Amino acid sequence: MKKILTTAIAASLVAAVPALADTVKVGYMTTLSGGAGIIGKQMQNAVNLAMEHTGGKLGGMDAEVVFVDDQRKPDVAKQLANRLVKSDKVDVVAGVIWSNLMMAIHKPVTRSGTLLISSNAGPSPIAGAGCHENFVSMSWQNDQTPEGMGKYMQDAGIKSVYLMAPNYQAGKDMLSGFKRHYKGEVVAEVYTQLGQTDFQAELSTLRAAKPEATFIFQPGGMGINFVKQWNQAGMDSVSKLYTVFTVDGVSLPALKDTAVGVVSTQTWSPDLDNAMNKKFVADYKAKFGGYPSFYAAQAYDTMMAIDYAAGKAGSSDSAAMRDVLAKGGIPTTRGSLAMNSNQFPIQNIYLREAVMDADGVATTKVIGTVFENHGDAYAKDCKF
Amino acid sequence: MGALKILLDGANRNRTLFVLLAGFALFPIYTGIADLPFWNDLAMRIMILGMAAMGLNLVLGYGGMVSFGHAAFVGVGAYCVGISQYYGLYNGWIHIIMALGACGALGLAIGYLSLRTSGIYFIMITLAFAQMLFFLFVSLEQFGGDDGMSIDRAEFIIIDLWEPLRLYYLIWAALTLSSILLMFIVRSRFGVVLQAIKGNESRVEAMGLAPLPFKITGYVISAMICGLAGALFASWQEYVSPDIMHWTRSGELMIIIILGGLGTLSGPLLGAVVFLLLEEILPELMHVVAPNYAENWMIIFGPILIAVVLFARGGLMGLVQRVTGGRT
Amino acid sequence: MTITLLLEQMFNGLQSGVTLFLIAAGLTLILGIMDFVFLAHGAQVMIGAYAAASLTALTGNFFLGILLAIPITFASGFLLEFLLIRHLYRRDHMDQVLATFGLILFFNELIRIGFGPAALFSDLPKALSGFVNILPEAPYPMFRLVVILVGLACAIGIHVLVSHTRVGAMVRAGANNEAMTAALGINIRLLRRFVFAVGACFAGVAGMMIGPLTAVEPGMGEPLLILSLVVIIIGGIGSVRGAFVAAVLVGMVDTMGRVLLPVILRSFMGQAAADGAGPALASMMVYILMSLILVFRPTGLFSPKG
Repeated sequence: MKKILTTAIAASLVAAVPALADTVKVGYMTTLSGGAGIIGKQMQNAVNLAMEHTGGKLGGMDAEVVFVDDQRKPDVAKQLANRLVKSDKVDVVAGVIWSNLMMAIHKPVTRSGTLLISSNAGPSPIAGAGCHENFVSMSWQNDQTPEGMGKYMQDAGIKSVYLMAPNYQAGKDMLSGFKRHYKGEVVAEVYTQLGQTDFQAELSTLRAAKPEATFIFQPGGMGINFVKQWNQAGMDSVSKLYTVFTVDGVSLPALKDTAVGVVSTQTWSPDLDNAMNKKFVADYKAKFGGYPSFYAAQAYDTMMAIDYAAGKAGSSDSAAMRDVLAKGGIPTTRGSLAMNSNQFPIQNIYLREAVMDADGVATTKVIGTVFENHGDAYAKDCKF
Repeated sequence: MGALKILLDGANRNRTLFVLLAGFALFPIYTGIADLPFWNDLAMRIMILGMAAMGLNLVLGYGGMVSFGHAAFVGVGAYCVGISQYYGLYNGWIHIIMALGACGALGLAIGYLSLRTSGIYFIMITLAFAQMLFFLFVSLEQFGGDDGMSIDRAEFIIIDLWEPLRLYYLIWAALTLSSILLMFIVRSRFGVVLQAIKGNESRVEAMGLAPLPFKITGYVISAMICGLAGALFASWQEYVSPDIMHWTRSGELMIIIILGGLGTLSGPLLGAVVFLLLEEILPELMHVVAPNYAENWMIIFGPILIAVVLFARGGLMGLVQRVTGGRT
Repeated sequence: MTITLLLEQMFNGLQSGVTLFLIAAGLTLILGIMDFVFLAHGAQVMIGAYAAASLTALTGNFFLGILLAIPITFASGFLLEFLLIRHLYRRDHMDQVLATFGLILFFNELIRIGFGPAALFSDLPKALSGFVNILPEAPYPMFRLVVILVGLACAIGIHVLVSHTRVGAMVRAGANNEAMTAALGINIRLLRRFVFAVGACFAGVAGMMIGPLTAVEPGMGEPLLILSLVVIIIGGIGSVRGAFVAAVLVGMVDTMGRVLLPVILRSFMGQAAADGAGPALASMMVYILMSLILVFRPTGLFSPKG
């Protein structure tokens, strides 16, 4: 008797529970182990922070975020992407730091009908002829940031510039992006070795050439090495240093005051004046000790974009979310983000300077806006 | 002995290898039933890596030639597929013939130039050649440079690769054929001479045989096997980039062979299985045991490799032999 | 390209070479004298750099940091030999490769756990941040001069140690004929441990020298490892003199190659082609050099002498 009663009560309770709401499933791919793990770590921190801010939900629905470590290997990334899409059946695959990994997973993910959102990588093939409607970028296209620097230096009337970047695809993209808007004299275009640690020889040649300005792209450890050695060789008295992706939230803790005064262009800066950014930077600093890098900001924006899209679409359906995002007007740490026809952002490009803040910590400060509502150069080649 | 007898005898002597091959053949049945189809991807990666390792093992394990550049052949095989597709050629059989041809020719050239040296000098020369090939492909902007090229699965007339398991069994067939080929080679007169050269080159010379043609031939065959692995890899990954031929991938191949057991037929495949499985399982384990240090899983991986060296002479196959009382 | 610039670049090449020597010296000792393939040598460089950088931050004094870091590096080499390396001497070279590869992974992760994945802050000591005019109008960072001097001092030090001391004689004897040396009552095991620790120490000093100049981060030693292998092959395995000559040669060729090749290429190629081919060729220069030398001297420039 007791058994029947308890069963009946249990059954009625089960019947009383409403149908389970949709769950938004996100597969977040970065490099967590190995050399570049610091970047992946920052992005993971930002994603977790975003989930805290949304109360663990995306678009008001239950959310599940699966972190995967691509180990910076394309075959691992491919295997993980397949798993996320076919087995975990995620609604969104997001993240991806490196251009080559993005090239490896772009087709399989987008073709499967799953939404692919980039938190960083933006190689030109997927912005142009190789584009796909299931891809949305929450970062930028690789050429945009150096284009900003080129325009700034052109408008500022800088007569001669010395160019330097590592000898790989991204390096070449950066310098060609720069030259798209800069029409002055290019004194030299020097390609250094990938992973180079000592730039003394290049600096000696630079000093002999006495260019008015020097524009460099040296990401990661190379940037730390270059700026340190630039400083140690007293090069500021010879030429003014302009950079992209060299002085940022990842390299500044190691550079400290040796980077002060270095100018860069970027689509974001920790001091951008909007409510979302202020909250993000303050909470990130409080929780993880140190300013977030642009990688972290973009990762945060990605999750907030998914939150926005899922909420507006009212479901976790990939196509529905994609349609929302394609329209633009997404709330991000850069303000309301507009979308281009190839689903890459149309955004401002700011001029920033490395400074020491009130607590003596190195960070960047916006000192001007170079481009307003800038779209990338490849959108016209993209036809869905 | 007839070929069939050799085959059966070889299977008997290299049970581990044939057990693994059988395992791989049956694996998709398990993943199908358990609804874990994504594990097939891991299995395909293991098979391809095992095939490349087998190729290298012919010269490294049996021939005593420590080539640090074999990942370059894998890369060239992959780019044969990539570049062909760039020019509109999608026939997988032609890709394979191209890969075998290109790697054979390249293996001949590099082998001829490098095999004049030996020991650590040979290692560095092969490394130098591999680096040059790597930088060459990085500089080819037309084919994506180091960002690589997104490609499609090759079309094998008769075999439709878009059916889920066709590629799997194609790779399996290539792996099995390579294994059988290597088994015949190792037991042939050629193979015996090659191993004798590894043991004592001057003695072989004293017997009136010129070592160099044997070494070069072995080198070419191993290059072609790696090229085949590379071509299939490109179809699986649907992407080619110079990453595949970075010197660290060559090092990885060597590590796998040593881990599995140098100079054994089963070693390379066993090494590939264990190595990639560890890469999959260790991070998961760390997530459970020490979640704060989950991404530092290599701090366990390193000592495992050291432990294998200290306690398992002859690699994992050495361990297998001791456990099964001398049989492999 | 003026004469001044050319000379200045040669100076840069010299400094680059001397730094390479510090790393290669320890490696040639270990590989040449003890016939041990020690892939984790780059990890020793990293340990030295981290020790110096963290002790400098702790004590606030660069020189004190280095002074304290040197015995730490020596001890780490000593301990490593005692715990692991001595069990591997009799093993096949390939087994040594596998074991020391595992060691690289272990050390990199250990540093990453202990100090975090981000690069440490390390800078020049204020006292050595100035410039010296090595040539008119060519201010050269003082610290880099110090690196050259330290490297030269170490080179002389090793030479004296190996050729003119009892310990050095014991080391050479032990390399030549182990059984006989042991029979003479010399503790071979302790000797080997000492040599290994000395090798680790030199690598550590190299790390301490390059720490202020470059990024102190996990895995910083591996890129240097390949280059130092090239150096000891060119120099002749086991020869410290060879390591010095080869290191300076490689440093010069690498530096001058990077600087001059694009210029040379531009004179008979278009600008764009030269800018593309130049760096690719420059990165291969060192390997081409090595191959050329091996053609004429298959066992390197110098025979093993220590």
